[in-house]
Amino acid sequence: MSIIQTDKEPWKAPDNVGHVIPCDYEHKKPLKFDNGQAIQEFNIRYETYGKLNKDHSNAILICHALSGDHHCAGYHEGETKPGWWDNMIGPGKPIDTSRFYVICPNCLGGCQGTTGPSSINPQTGKPYNQDFPRVTIGDMVRAQKILLDHLGITHIHAAVGGSMGGMQVMQWMIDYTEMVGRVLILASTARQSTQSIAFNEVGRSAIHQDPNWNKGDYDPDKGPDTGLAIARMMAHITYLSNRGLESKFGRDRKQKTQNLTDVEFEVESYLRHQGQTFVNRFDANTYLLFTKALDTFDLYGQKDDLRHAFQNVTARILAIGFISDWLFPPEENREIIQSLLKLGKNASYAELESELGHDSFLLETKEYFDLVRAFLD
Amino acid sequence: MVESRKEEAKRRTDQMVINQGIQPGDKVLDLGCGRGSLLQLLIQEKQVRALGVDINPGKILECVKKGIPVFQGDVDLFLGNFPNQSFDRVILSRTVEHLQKPGRTISEALRVGRRVTVGFINHGFWLNRMNYFLKGSRTINDVYPDPWYESAPVTFFSLANFEDFCRKKNIRIHARVCLDANWKNECRILPNLLAGYVICDISK
Repeated sequence: MSIIQTDKEPWKAPDNVGHVIPCDYEHKKPLKFDNGQAIQEFNIRYETYGKLNKDHSNAILICHALSGDHHCAGYHEGETKPGWWDNMIGPGKPIDTSRFYVICPNCLGGCQGTTGPSSINPQTGKPYNQDFPRVTIGDMVRAQKILLDHLGITHIHAAVGGSMGGMQVMQWMIDYTEMVGRVLILASTARQSTQSIAFNEVGRSAIHQDPNWNKGDYDPDKGPDTGLAIARMMAHITYLSNRGLESKFGRDRKQKTQNLTDVEFEVESYLRHQGQTFVNRFDANTYLLFTKALDTFDLYGQKDDLRHAFQNVTARILAIGFISDWLFPPEENREIIQSLLKLGKNASYAELESELGHDSFLLETKEYFDLVRAFLD
Repeated sequence: MVESRKEEAKRRTDQMVINQGIQPGDKVLDLGCGRGSLLQLLIQEKQVRALGVDINPGKILECVKKGIPVFQGDVDLFLGNFPNQSFDRVILSRTVEHLQKPGRTISEALRVGRRVTVGFINHGFWLNRMNYFLKGSRTINDVYPDPWYESAPVTFFSLANFEDFCRKKNIRIHARVCLDANWKNECRILPNLLAGYVICDISK
C-alpha cells in the first residue's frame, strides 16, 4: 500500500525532502559588480533543506548550472516534477539532508526570482533588460556570500557544483578561502574552451537575430522566443553525446513526412520540445548574461597559470570528470587538480565512465553517488 | 582483482619496512596506491603529506573514503606534469611489474622525488625457477592466482635484474631489505635465490 502511496505522492517518499517553499532575501544595500557598475538593491531567491546544527557546521552550498535554479530538491506544492537534483539531495541520499543543511540560491542575474535583467529597476520602474550590469562568476559568488551572512553561516562544510556551478565553487574556494571546508567540482573547467565559447556565440546570435529581440528591450510576453529556443536546442546537444543520443533515440522516426520542416526523427521532436519548454521558464537576457559569464571565466589569468589563482586555497577538493563529456572534458577537470597538487593542496581527481556527456553529472550511478557520499562524509 | 586476506597479511611487513624509511612530515607520493592502506599507515605513523595515484576507480573511491588525496589516471602522464623534486619520497610498491615502460617511470619517479622506494616480487626466487625448470610453467600462487590467459600483462624481473638496471642507470641503492618466501622475515643469504620480496631505497 505504502509503495502505491509514494508513487502517487512522491514527496512522501522517505528519502525525499517533501514539499518545499522558496525563500527570498531582499538586500537593501548596493551591490557592486566586477565591472564597476552597481545596483542599488537586490533580491536573492533560495531554498534550504535539512536543519542547521547548533555550531553551524553542517551547511552545504549548492551552486546551479546555466539553466538551473534554486529548486534542486523536493516538490513545490501542486507540482509533480521534483527539483533538478532530487536524486542527489534528500534524507539518506549522497547529499544527506538528515545530516546536512543544504542551501541553493538562484544565481545573480538569473530569471527565477533572484534579481536579474527581467527584474524591475527601482530607479526607472522598468525592467533592467540590457541595462543590467555584466555579471561574472565572481559577482554571483559575492551575492551568495551576502545571503550566507544573512543566514548566519560563517563556515560551509562543502560547496558543490557542476558545470557553471563548478566554476562558482572554485571561485568560492579562492575568494572566501577560510569559509569553505570542502569543494566538490563536477564536470567543470577553470577556463571556458574556445569551442565552448563558439557554441555559446551561435546561441547568442540566434537570440539577437530574432525579430522580437528589439535590442533586449522586448515585452516580457513577446520576447525573442524563437532565438532562445534555437539556442537551447543547440546547447542541449553539447550537454549530451553521440552515443547517448544514439542509445536514447537512434534513428527512430516520429512520422514519415514529405514536408522538409516537419518533425521526422524522434531526436528532432525531443530537441524542439527542449527548446519550447525552455522558453517558458527562461529569459533571453539572462541567457546572454550567463553565457558571457561562462565565456569570460578564466582562472588561468594573464600569466596563463592556474597556480596563481589557487595559491591560498585551503579547502579539501574533489573534482570529477566524466569520460563522455566533450563540453567540459575530463582533461579540463584533471588540470584543475594537477595545478592544486603542484601547490601541495589537498586535492583529488576521479574520472567516471558515462555515456551521457556533460549532463552525466546529473544522473545517478552507483560509482558516482558513492564517491560524492564518501567525499562529503 | 580482490586482494586475498593472505596477501594483505603478506603486505604488512612490506609496509612496515617502507614506513621505517620515511621521515615525519615527509611529502609522499604513492604510485599505484591501490586502496590507500600504505598511505593511511604513513599518515598515522609519520604524519606524512600523502598523495596517491591509481588508475582503478574502485580504488580511488576507497582512498576518498579514507580521506587520502588521490589522483585517478595514468602514472606516466601524472609524473610528466610535476616539477623536479616535488616530493621527499616516491613509492612504487608492487607497481613496477605493471608499468608499460618500467625504466622510464622509475627515472621520472627519481626526478620528481628526492628518494624512491621500490618494492617488488623477486622472480629469481627458487620456486619460480623450479616451476620453469621442472614444469616449464609459470608459478601459480596467492599473488598470481590466475592462469596466464586471464591475467593482466606483468613484467617478471629478479633482484639481480633490478640491481643490474640500477648500475647501468647510475642509480644509487641506499638500502635493501629482502624478505623470505612469506614476506615475513628478513632473508640475508643468497637473496636472488631465496628472497620472495625486495624493497630498495634508491636515488639518483
